[in-house]
Amino acid sequence: MNLARITPIFSAVFAIAYVIAEQNNLALFTYHPRINEWGFLTEAPRNGPGMYWFGWIGSSLAVATALTALSVPILRQRSVPSIIGWVSPLICMVLFVYLLRAFFFR
Amino acid sequence: MVVFLLILHGLCAVALLGAITHQTMAAWWPARKAVGFTPSFRAVQGAKFTNAIVILFIITFILGAVIYPPYRLNGRTYLETMRMWSVNGSFELKEQFLAIGLGMLPFYWHVWRQSLDDTLALARKMTSALLFFAVWFGFITGHVVNNVKGLM
Repeated sequence: MNLARITPIFSAVFAIAYVIAEQNNLALFTYHPRINEWGFLTEAPRNGPGMYWFGWIGSSLAVATALTALSVPILRQRSVPSIIGWVSPLICMVLFVYLLRAFFFR
Repeated sequence: MVVFLLILHGLCAVALLGAITHQTMAAWWPARKAVGFTPSFRAVQGAKFTNAIVILFIITFILGAVIYPPYRLNGRTYLETMRMWSVNGSFELKEQFLAIGLGMLPFYWHVWRQSLDDTLALARKMTSALLFFAVWFGFITGHVVNNVKGLM
């Protein structure tokens, strides 16, 4: 296992997957805090608000782990630029500022 | 119990703030001699903080996740009722920044591993800076939200 190859890919994919999961509400699981119940995938709120943040992190972890694992044999003979490990999170953070701008201009 | 966890979350965040600030300053603005307060603050071996930062980040993150449901039920509902959109939006940004920071931790740990690879100097600076920003933003936002409406 070469950390120089897999960690930048994981970091980059996680950030992108998280943006996609958050924007499309693709949660691996849903938590219903009022009744303290968990549900699989994205569920409608039950007796109170639903919490999807845990599920978005779960989705991103699953996608990043899977794609990183798939990339290992493909990138065996190639080097992975370390820059993607921080550029992708940086762009995604800036993107969130843009996507959530409506909160600050009401 | 929630208040105890909130205080513990805050204390871990303070320790994390100190460590990531030391490391980021040492990476971006290194000091050769520890003479006086500011150079001493920057004249640390940044790599020595890496494991502590990773562990503190994860602990603080987990504690934050545990006290998130009470915030969702009490705090956020209050913010929405009072139409405090900028405070609400700041907390939304906090949770997104810190989630992305969580995903970046393996890469961050890799680039800061001993012995330090010179070709990863920029990656060290940038990963520390991103975590520095996310942690400071999260800390200040958390305090503001808690001052507006506590978890009880």
